[in-house]
Amino acid sequence: MSRPRPSLGRWRLPVGAVIALVVAFLIILFGTLIGPEGTIQMTLGRGVQLAETQYINALTVGALYALVALGYTMVYGIIELINFAHGDVWMVGSFASWWVITSLGVSGPITDPVWLVIVLILAFSISMVATGVLGVIIERFAYRPLRNAPRLAPLITAIGVSYILENLIENLISDSIVTIPRPIPNTELNLGLFSIGSVNLFVIIMAVALMAALHLFINRTRLGRAMRSTAADRDAAQLMGVNINQTIAVTFFIGSALAGAAGVVQGLYLGYSQFQIGFYGGLRAFTAAVLGGIGNTTGAAIGGFVIGFLEVTCNVFGYGKWSEAFVFATLVLVLVFRPTGILGQQQGDRA
Amino acid sequence: MKYARVGASLAVLAVVASACSGSTASPAASAAASGAAASGAAGGPAIAVKVGIELPMTGGEAPNGVPTANGVALAISQIQVPGFTITINQQDDALNGKHDPNTGAKNMQTLANDPQVLFVVGPYNSNVAQAEIPVSNAAGLMQCSPANTNPGLTQTWGGVDPKTLRPTNPDKIAYVRTATTDDLQGAAGADIAFNIAKAKTAYVADDTQTYGKGLADVMAADFAKLGGQVVKRDGIPDSTQDFTSYVSSVKGLNPGFVYYGGVTTSGIGLFRAEMANQGLANIPLGGGDGISDGAASVPSSFLQIAGAAGDPNTYSTTAGPHDVASDSTPSATDLATSYKAKFGTEPGAYTAAAYACTQVFLQALKDVGASAGGDLAKLREAIRAYVADPSHTYNTALGTFSFDAAGDTSQKIVSYYTFDPSTKDWKFLQQRDFSKNPLQ
Repeated sequence: MSRPRPSLGRWRLPVGAVIALVVAFLIILFGTLIGPEGTIQMTLGRGVQLAETQYINALTVGALYALVALGYTMVYGIIELINFAHGDVWMVGSFASWWVITSLGVSGPITDPVWLVIVLILAFSISMVATGVLGVIIERFAYRPLRNAPRLAPLITAIGVSYILENLIENLISDSIVTIPRPIPNTELNLGLFSIGSVNLFVIIMAVALMAALHLFINRTRLGRAMRSTAADRDAAQLMGVNINQTIAVTFFIGSALAGAAGVVQGLYLGYSQFQIGFYGGLRAFTAAVLGGIGNTTGAAIGGFVIGFLEVTCNVFGYGKWSEAFVFATLVLVLVFRPTGILGQQQGDRA
Repeated sequence: MKYARVGASLAVLAVVASACSGSTASPAASAAASGAAASGAAGGPAIAVKVGIELPMTGGEAPNGVPTANGVALAISQIQVPGFTITINQQDDALNGKHDPNTGAKNMQTLANDPQVLFVVGPYNSNVAQAEIPVSNAAGLMQCSPANTNPGLTQTWGGVDPKTLRPTNPDKIAYVRTATTDDLQGAAGADIAFNIAKAKTAYVADDTQTYGKGLADVMAADFAKLGGQVVKRDGIPDSTQDFTSYVSSVKGLNPGFVYYGGVTTSGIGLFRAEMANQGLANIPLGGGDGISDGAASVPSSFLQIAGAAGDPNTYSTTAGPHDVASDSTPSATDLATSYKAKFGTEPGAYTAAAYACTQVFLQALKDVGASAGGDLAKLREAIRAYVADPSHTYNTALGTFSFDAAGDTSQKIVSYYTFDPSTKDWKFLQQRDFSKNPLQ
């Protein structure tokens, strides 16, 4: 019964990190060559403008994917379940933030900094708690009863939960696009070396801060240790007195709360939501998790940024139609040469 | 073995993905009875027949389908054909809130399988029509689209013969349309950009669908012909969620005009909202009839998504006359008045066209209805043959027109609109009759 599992959040420097750095370096080199002073007229017969802005766009959407990818990877790490409902938890989070923001009477950028901070704190806290609780409920009623069932059962249950969430929002809230007012005024901040949109800066800082907090939580707290031990060997952890049910519930709460934060980010950055965003977006985020090494939180973050870069690169060069093929071809290539993903652990001891 | 499992899960995911993009529709087939009880012409009981409606009705498509379907209902409630009771068999081709070709083809089969359905009004979207034409052609069931504009549905386009859409009976037409085609709507887009917005450069994008790409291709070519320069030609898939990088490209290029071929559900409203967010609201944006979907107060309409109070500096077109000819029956005012009285809202961009399609059917039924002697299959074919015959002319809510041998209308008129901040709705600018006044 005891099987080594990928450990949550363990940073393994060697090959994976080197590959990640090389990929990032190549992308940046490619971008720099085509973008002296941020602008070049024609490359490959197509215009590439505002290279810096495009990097920032890529980083921002990458941060969004990374936040969602963390939830996929945490759940996989601890119970080896691909939680297909996770993308829809993100979607529910975006609707929660829409509800909070419109209920507070916000209809556009807020100039009063105090009120802005209050709105943001309320949006993040309410959405994160709501989705966190939703995640715990899903785990309790849809996955826990199936924890010892054959693997296909919880997988199909996850797909079912995904559809249930979509249908609930579609039929009870809105069956088309809802526009979410953007409370953060969109100004260009000049940081000396480059300028960055205020929303982009906020999103990137928020995402990195949440990831850092998650990293500290997993590695420095009692509950984090319980999560790591449950991920490594559930039965042994139980024998050592770890409350497995509670630990798994906490994992779902945190992963889903991060998806809730991503939902708020969706509204702040893209200004809309729709009941299906969890499907395409969730697929991207799941890919990010696999690309980075499923079960590995640092890998999920890196995977999110890599996919953001790939996607924006395609769009900028006029190959937006190919972005999905490009993203998934990259996934296949990485998995062929490194089946565990960029940062995933070697699985030499497993058949 | 873990990765085998991941692989298996991915395979499952792929199956789910294809299922989502394809075939899980459950259109509510409702036969809405609506007026027109008539006594038998020859003293016998009235024959019950149906007109099919095949339009996208739900989700983001509601602003398109609902006012169009209402046009059909209004026509059959106002015009009686002695000897027949006419009801509606209504199908919805929206899947998860977006029009879906596979669903459309299935709906068309459902309508073909209902022997009482003699004629179909729809669909709304060109890629749905592509999927439906083979079905209606095989069934010999005449369909009339009020809104399809892709030229390839009836004419050789991009080197493809429209007969490939009619494999069963290549020489029998079972599809006509009252909308004019995108080669003219695209020309109108170029006309607006160059002559009305006075732009010298344009960024041209499409949503990679049949309709949007065809429209944007023509607009780009005609804009260059007029002397303008297309600075970038982009394809933005309709599944796109993040438009920021595309809009940043626009910001870098700083074109005089942005033209986006596509429909609102593909995200053009979101693209425009992102343009405003990046400070580009001063660059005019134009589109075709895919964005003429109602005032800013209409939920899910382009104007509503682009900016809650609508978006100044935007242009759209529709593939038909706005200022209808004086010989039209009913007149535009009468149609709008009775529409408002019956449904409580303003008519949509293609309400009159749907009314006209229904008038085509009712005229055919009046003229050949008695010939089949109550045999519904014969009657269906008689109607098809009548409408396919180019010698017939129809006096409708759009004015008088006929269909040519390919099924296209003789009207070559495109209407131009711009946003009016006072009414927060599209405002009619002018219309151009391309048969009398070609672009060059």
